[in-house]
Amino acid sequence: MTLIARRLAGHLARGFVMIIVVATISFFIINNIPGDPMAAQYDKLLQSGMSPEAATQAVKVLYGFQPTGSLWQQYTDYIGGLLHLDLGTSVSRPGQPVLGVLGEAAKWTILPVLGGTLLSFLVGVILGVYAAIKRKSKLGDALAISGSLLHGIPQYVLAMLLVVIFATLIPILPADGPVDIMFEPGFNAGYLGSLAEHAVLPIATYALSAYGGWVLAMKSSVVTVLGDDFILAAELRGMKRSIIFRYIARNAILPLFTILALSLGLLLGGAVFIEKIFNYPGLGWLLIESINTRDYALMGGAFLLITAAVIVANIVADLFYTVIDPRVRSGEDST
Amino acid sequence: MKRLAAVVALLGLATATACSSGSTNKSSSGGGGGLFTTIDVNRPGLDASAPANPYNPKGNSFSGFNAMRIAWVKNHLTDPNQALPGIAASWEIAPDNSAITLKLQPNAKWSDGKPVTAEDVKMSIGIAYTQGSTAFSVTPGAAGAAAEVTVVDNQTLKITQDMASPSPKFARGVLDTAVLPAHVWSSVLPADFWDKLKTARGDGAEAEKARTEITAIGQKVIAFAPPKDVSAGPFVLERVNPGEALLVKNKNFYNAAKVAPAQVKFLNYTGNEQIWNYLTAGKLDQSGFVAAPTDVMNRIKQGPGNEVIKGYSPVAVSMAFNQSKKPYDNVHVRRGLAYLIDRDQVTKVASPEGGTPAVTTSGIHQKAAQAWIPDTLPKLDPYKPDAAKAEAEFKSAGLTKKDGKWTLADGKPWKVSMHAPAGFSDWLSAQENIKSQLIKAGIDAEIQTSPDYPVYLEELAAGKYDVGFWLMALGPAPYDIFQRLYGASNGWTNVAGKIEHSPAGKNGNWMGGPEQIEVDGAKIDPGELTGKLNSANEEAAKPIMAQLAKAANQDLPVIQLWDYVNNQFVNNSRFTGWPHDDEILRLGTGVLASGVWIQLGMVKSKQ
Repeated sequence: MTLIARRLAGHLARGFVMIIVVATISFFIINNIPGDPMAAQYDKLLQSGMSPEAATQAVKVLYGFQPTGSLWQQYTDYIGGLLHLDLGTSVSRPGQPVLGVLGEAAKWTILPVLGGTLLSFLVGVILGVYAAIKRKSKLGDALAISGSLLHGIPQYVLAMLLVVIFATLIPILPADGPVDIMFEPGFNAGYLGSLAEHAVLPIATYALSAYGGWVLAMKSSVVTVLGDDFILAAELRGMKRSIIFRYIARNAILPLFTILALSLGLLLGGAVFIEKIFNYPGLGWLLIESINTRDYALMGGAFLLITAAVIVANIVADLFYTVIDPRVRSGEDST
Repeated sequence: MKRLAAVVALLGLATATACSSGSTNKSSSGGGGGLFTTIDVNRPGLDASAPANPYNPKGNSFSGFNAMRIAWVKNHLTDPNQALPGIAASWEIAPDNSAITLKLQPNAKWSDGKPVTAEDVKMSIGIAYTQGSTAFSVTPGAAGAAAEVTVVDNQTLKITQDMASPSPKFARGVLDTAVLPAHVWSSVLPADFWDKLKTARGDGAEAEKARTEITAIGQKVIAFAPPKDVSAGPFVLERVNPGEALLVKNKNFYNAAKVAPAQVKFLNYTGNEQIWNYLTAGKLDQSGFVAAPTDVMNRIKQGPGNEVIKGYSPVAVSMAFNQSKKPYDNVHVRRGLAYLIDRDQVTKVASPEGGTPAVTTSGIHQKAAQAWIPDTLPKLDPYKPDAAKAEAEFKSAGLTKKDGKWTLADGKPWKVSMHAPAGFSDWLSAQENIKSQLIKAGIDAEIQTSPDYPVYLEELAAGKYDVGFWLMALGPAPYDIFQRLYGASNGWTNVAGKIEHSPAGKNGNWMGGPEQIEVDGAKIDPGELTGKLNSANEEAAKPIMAQLAKAANQDLPVIQLWDYVNNQFVNNSRFTGWPHDDEILRLGTGVLASGVWIQLGMVKSKQ
């Protein structure tokens, strides 16, 4: 436990420094993005029929939420706020704290992306083991080919394909948002059912596009393990196939856990195309919208959240590895 | 493995159960006419946590449905003050336009049962001052600003205009004001607000301080979140999720008996393609204008029950020149290009359904031009495609043609570099077509895209582009129409009613046109004349507009390419009675016209 605690403390310290560095870099990049959001807003108001004077005042009020002062002053305010978990106020959603806006969007990202990641991991790993064991059979080939094919199809193509098939040609699943508004929100069958029904296609898209990667990685890992002496020894000892299978799976899955942890870290980056096509207003969509509206505080918050998630995932992966792989522990002990 | 298999099986079962329970419990979507499904095409991305606040850009306030205005201003070609009744049942405008007296709907109530009073309207006017409004402006000297707001009785208000700088659209500015319940919103305005406002409309440091304070109040207003929606409109907000918003009928609405739908569902969208899909599937009972390519438009038209209603949209698109750059400083070059570009062809390619080719460059949408300057319009040069005339103009500018290619007067090669923001598909298609027309005529051309509209506007204003596309003719008010050509982008700024001119490259003057233009043998200052339109009545405005149209036509700061068409999409499967009258197809700023049609009883349930 002391070893894990020591590692954790080191990781947290490094993670904190990394977050501050990334926050600093993204702050200066964001503040140097070209474009005049006030002019764009003014033009939009004129097009909607507002007089120039009225549009001028409306823009002044709206962009009053934009931080003022010198760039350095804004930077120190930003970092100071960050230390107090205050990421500022959104301009595109006036008065709403950035953290709240991010939290609201995060849940619509987590549902399809986490669901899709876990499902693809589960199916991909099982079929990857099978593809490796049966690698000389037609089924093994078919699994490997399906993995390569699905891995190669862009996510948005897959998403549109599913929409065309299941929402247009055979309209059995919805593709227009996360839940039907006609159901009273709460812990009731109708609402939860609607949530699940709407999540099927986004999760399926994500799972299908990620599945190929897991199948191929697992197959490759298993093939490596299959050549190890302990598998040969187990076979020679006449152990049951299910036990040998477990030996193979446990050893082959280790590298995939690292990838899984990193995938979960990247999860908060959202899946822009899936969110856009299935009308899921998650973090990916929010990030794009914040760039379009030049909502600097929201943009900075979204970047920071993604960065922090990846850093945390790295730490978790490292610690988890220490727990699940005895070789890592013994390596540490010997130093 | 057994455990893994069990988990997979459970997941599958859960999904299947979810699918079945979701579909069996779902309410009918529109069938029977009880539910009206629509979309706010101007605001992508519903925000479930946004307040029911009409001033919040993400607010779950849908003007015409759960948000009311004093009245609903029409899209009239020449009279900006025409309107349909809203919270005001009627109004009287003084003959000299110095005042408007409002009579409220006698039975108007908020959704919580409290009556709508003149005090509610006065407080709403106070709030409008903080946000920027044509009639309720804190800018001293602003044309058409109100002077006094007086509550005559519980049902009557009188608003007078500051006649030091009057505007013919003063009444429009008053009528196009959102009405909010004082018992919910009054805490937003400080007790001394009206005194502060009086100070702000003066001069000096005190006034400046008061204006800053009012802008700060404006920020409070924009962020204000009422605990629940209290509406005086035909509907009230029930709930919102990121995919949809549900509104239910407001039983206290004064005209509730004539409101056909029991519920209204607003759909979310993140891109035009989603609206196309909704329309193609016949899901939407009504949608405002959304640009669509021809094949998509054809699919939409074939959708079950779909109908496209076409109306007047006071916007046109033009090819604008930076006259600080050679050879566009020479009017003959601009004229040559006008003779060369076939606008019919451009419109056919770029906006066949959403636009009509401009008959000429007048600065005004052709429909409005026929109403404002019917005698002048036929006298303007139509710039019909004529290669010979184009060649003559180019030669007058000193350009030369060598080996079939036009070169600049100094012998350097000439390349027309056109800019447009990425994603503006109709503009980019138009530029592609213009490019091929120019290349065919021996002029080298290229298209450069900016990553998005904010960058495009910033670079345009910084004078980085030779040629860009520019929205113009933003009616219906004459000043708003011409300030796009002779306003800040061309050097003239209107500060507190005083027109000042900045040289090219300064204060946003990227067009860089001349300060004076000779029209009919006399020198005119088009910016000064445009400024006069701000306070001119209809009769006084007509000759000024004729002069400005002539100036625009002969000097060509832009080439007017096509005038937009207001395409409204409606579906006749569940509701009928859609209006086809141009004037009410498009109503005030941000107003969702179908909400107004519903509340006035025009839309009927098809049962």
